[in-house]
Amino acid sequence: MNIETRNIVKTYQEKTVLNLTGDYRELLFESEKIHGIIGPNGSGKTTLMKIMAGLITPTAGDVLYNGQPLCQDIFSEMTYSTHTPTLFSRSVYENIAYPLKIRKREQNDIHQTVSQLLEEFEITDIKNQSARRLSGGESQKTALARALSFSPRVLFLDEPTANIDPKSIQIIEAALKKRNREEGLTIIIITHNLSQAFRICTHLTFLDQGSCLFSDTPEKIMAATHPTIDEFISFNRF
Amino acid sequence: MDYILNGFVEAFRLIFSFDPEIIQIVLLSLFVSFSSTLYGTLIGVPLGILLGINNFRGKKVVSRFLYTFMSFPPVIIGLFTALFLARSGPFGQLQLMYTPTAMIIAQTILVTPVIMGIVFNNASTSGYEVVQTGKTLGAQRWNILILLVLELKGVIMIALVTGFGRAISEVGAVMIVGGNIRGFTRVMTTFIAMNNNMGQYSVSIAMGLILMTISFITNSVLYHFIIGDHNEYRD
Repeated sequence: MNIETRNIVKTYQEKTVLNLTGDYRELLFESEKIHGIIGPNGSGKTTLMKIMAGLITPTAGDVLYNGQPLCQDIFSEMTYSTHTPTLFSRSVYENIAYPLKIRKREQNDIHQTVSQLLEEFEITDIKNQSARRLSGGESQKTALARALSFSPRVLFLDEPTANIDPKSIQIIEAALKKRNREEGLTIIIITHNLSQAFRICTHLTFLDQGSCLFSDTPEKIMAATHPTIDEFISFNRF
Repeated sequence: MDYILNGFVEAFRLIFSFDPEIIQIVLLSLFVSFSSTLYGTLIGVPLGILLGINNFRGKKVVSRFLYTFMSFPPVIIGLFTALFLARSGPFGQLQLMYTPTAMIIAQTILVTPVIMGIVFNNASTSGYEVVQTGKTLGAQRWNILILLVLELKGVIMIALVTGFGRAISEVGAVMIVGGNIRGFTRVMTTFIAMNNNMGQYSVSIAMGLILMTISFITNSVLYHFIIGDHNEYRD
């Protein structure tokens, strides 16, 4: 699903936190690609993502999904997960099964899908454990498995690998690349980790102080000559 | 000091004599307190969730009023209820004054803000996250409501226990609207207050022990679910 933003502005209590009306007034997040949104803290990344995910409404501007405005059908094909996911007070298995249960899938289908995801994310051994007492990595993997369980067309991820161990990062990145490659899942990911952005993203959008400074391939961002981007890249090297 | 010890001895004798009047008072107390907690839950839980998860202009003012009502003195609530239910009051023709129904109404007014306030506070914080997560996973309005109730069930149980505790232990409101009529509106707290005034300490102690035992049993049963639930999430 192509997602297009046009002249997006978001204001909170008279303070503009996102203003995409400059050179990059129109941003295109192409279907079946992995897009990264990068930039310093407070640059408007999460706000932009929440607007695209239909969780908050922009003060001005439009978001189009394959040229259409947001509707319930489109909304139900997208999902969103953060680095502090809200897991429900039930087992890991039940958390992952939740989106399938509300879609009234057959019991066998649910069991098969959840078992595959548990295996893929290497969390089968904790499937009966309460989701409220998981480590950071386990929570992230459970949240991501839950988000992927109903095969959405668009996946929004806000720093999904922040503060977790390298093995879990590897598992998560592999799962994302696999879904993108095999199912054509469109992924939009916020990350502070530039090397991760280079590993998995085919397109990067750089935000700073609510404005977009750059939106192109990862290779081209390295050649960019903007001082803020240079500073961000140099800090990521160390 | 002797009268206290004698009071306890007499209390146990009274408890195990299964006095019909004592049994009737205990049963009426339980009926009034459980009924008001039930009505308070039916009103307070949905309203608390609704106000908690929605952001609207004036939410802070609503929360301040709600927290003020949580600590409203029972005697004031009893007074206002009596003014409305008295023969010359707006609902005088219903002839509810000095009936168990009047006591239930007064206690419902007393416990509803308590239940609502606890649920509201938790729904405002964790409830919002649950709603957002449910939405992003494709949950419809009805699914979200069920999800929210299940996620907040521990909080709802705590609210229920607190509400019941406030109802069964209060004396001011039921004294005013019930009138402490023997065999009709006399409950444990009004019985204790009356016998204490009359210097019949043993009877007061006996009823006090029964009240504490009932509170302990009720809270234990309800907490069993809550603590069992919370222990599951504890490392």
